[in-house]
Amino acid sequence: MKQTLAFLAGPGLTAALLIFFCGLTFKLVWYFRGLDWRLERVAYRPQMSAGMAGGLHSIYRWLLPYGTHGWRSHPLLTLYFFLFHAGLVLLPPFLLGHTVVFGQIFGFSPPALPQLAGDVLAVLSLIGGLLLLLRRVSLPETRLLGTFSDYALSSIVLLVLVSGLLARMHTENYDLWLLLHIAAGELTLILAPFTKLSHMVLFFAARWQLGADYAVKRGGHRRGPCFPW
Amino acid sequence: MPEGKFCNKKPVNTEEDLKSLLADKGGKQYYMEMAELEVDVQKLQDALRRTCASRTLTWLEICARCGMCAESCFFYRISNRDPEQVPAFKIQSTLGEIVRRKGNVDNAFMRRAMEYAWARCTCCNRCGMFCPNGIDTGVMFSYLRGLLYAQGFVPWELKIGAGMHRVYRAQMDVTSEDWLETCEWMVEENSETWPGLDIPVDRQDADIMYTLNAREPKHYPEDVAEAAILFHLAGENWTVPSEGWEQTSLAMFAGDWEACKLSVENVYAAIERLRPKRVIGTECGHAHRATVVEGPYWAGRPDGKPPTEYIHYVEWVAEALRTGKLKIDPDKKIKEKVTLQDSCNYVRNHGLAKYTREIMSYIVEEGCFVEMTPNREYNYCCGGGGGFNGIGLFRAQRNQALKAKRDQIAATKASLVIAPCHNCWDAIRDLEEEYRLGIRWTFLKPLLISMVIVPEHLAG
Repeated sequence: MKQTLAFLAGPGLTAALLIFFCGLTFKLVWYFRGLDWRLERVAYRPQMSAGMAGGLHSIYRWLLPYGTHGWRSHPLLTLYFFLFHAGLVLLPPFLLGHTVVFGQIFGFSPPALPQLAGDVLAVLSLIGGLLLLLRRVSLPETRLLGTFSDYALSSIVLLVLVSGLLARMHTENYDLWLLLHIAAGELTLILAPFTKLSHMVLFFAARWQLGADYAVKRGGHRRGPCFPW
Repeated sequence: MPEGKFCNKKPVNTEEDLKSLLADKGGKQYYMEMAELEVDVQKLQDALRRTCASRTLTWLEICARCGMCAESCFFYRISNRDPEQVPAFKIQSTLGEIVRRKGNVDNAFMRRAMEYAWARCTCCNRCGMFCPNGIDTGVMFSYLRGLLYAQGFVPWELKIGAGMHRVYRAQMDVTSEDWLETCEWMVEENSETWPGLDIPVDRQDADIMYTLNAREPKHYPEDVAEAAILFHLAGENWTVPSEGWEQTSLAMFAGDWEACKLSVENVYAAIERLRPKRVIGTECGHAHRATVVEGPYWAGRPDGKPPTEYIHYVEWVAEALRTGKLKIDPDKKIKEKVTLQDSCNYVRNHGLAKYTREIMSYIVEEGCFVEMTPNREYNYCCGGGGGFNGIGLFRAQRNQALKAKRDQIAATKASLVIAPCHNCWDAIRDLEEEYRLGIRWTFLKPLLISMVIVPEHLAG
């Protein structure tokens, strides 16, 4: 177990991060290179500044909790969503335990969150994630929509959170939880570019595109400065 | 069975074919043939390779299947929250499957997809405003319609509609001669009441070139007269083209992109020939979408703009009232409860909500205008958009779909609905026929004529 752990925390992590960053960079490049003004019928280049403003505004508004009609129309879902995602975005790079590991491997690391903040984020994220899962299995429409991959990916990410919290609590099976945490975490990194987890970058791309679409083609300045998201 | 006589992969390109397809009343034989029509998988795969690019693939891939789009869709709301009416399900189980199966789909699949593409989505684009990932399912359904059309799986009326554009460059069999005769007839008919009334044809360098919907000369010629009267009263220097006057595009509803291009190029050619300062289109939503919003791209214009400034009728009316070109008699302002239908095609999809509100402020007595809830960009489709109104096969579904708008209108307690869009106007007429709310509905033109102050030198 020690050997496996050493491998996963060392070369394993480096490889997973490499796949993660290269894969997602490739996805982003693939997305934007694939945009075609004739297919989408959006004059991206000639109206770049309008498109850029509309695109960035569309991203910004949807990053704000309850910042859009869509979020406001689903108050509970929005709460679960932001609880879940806040931890998922902030913990991997900034959790104290993680920054120590990054420091050991790469010789540098991002600043660390205070320990308490890390704990709170992790617990809230887990709660948010479990509520989202509960919602998914209880509503007729999400039951119909959900696929195997939706459940599998949710489970892996929840496993990362659960095992991380258990390891943090230094329970009896510390080594096992740590191993599971690292393995599931790295699996998430590796799967990201190849599954819908790629939404972690493609969210920004798709949001930008629709915002630009509305700003360039579907009304733009006639509507006023911004689309009423 | 390979290609049917009527139902096949060939678009209608001749008058003769059009007439014989029309003679197949209600598409009886057409739909029988469709049950046997083979899918050309190779052709479908080619189309996917050429046209299904990163935006669409990403939309299909990153859908979180969270169901946030459910409530946004009026079909879902009126069908007792049927999960199969959730936009994400509708597109994933049609276009999504086609992509995942790499085009290997059969006849039954395509017929089901046709029902989804034309009877479960009007391409109103409302769901796209509620998706955190920015997935616009209406855009994908429009794309799916194109794939289905190319394979021959398209409702009978829309195959005819697209054929009309190919043969007549108009959605109905109205030729240039018919059009010009209607203009003359309308001038004659109205010149006693409106001395000096004229419909100037092919006048170059006018301030305004007016374009319209073929059903106006065909079925509602008084609409043509009303447009002329209002331009006349406003003292506009205007003209209509003898060719290129038809602005609509049933081809867009059908997914016949080639016919869309032919149609819009015909209008743009008129603009280039007559060099008007700007063009004004009639009170129609999809005509505006087709000619002003999407049209420039079909015509291959990289800047995404028509050859000259091209505005919707409501923009002109707002301007005419603002600048005093048209003056409303204060005594004749609307004094009953009145509401306003926002057309998806020029409100959500072209941002013109403020112009119609501005018009309301001039023509409705204070306190009488009641907004629907929700409204503007967030308004629901009338229930008959995207070609839905005209498809006999899906009439029952369409009548169900009208319920969302019926309830919205009923909640305003308005007795009059202003609907500056042909499709919306039809849907509201039909919902009154079907559900008897006791409402009246109207375009802006007749309303304005009944309220406007006639300048003395123009009075009859």
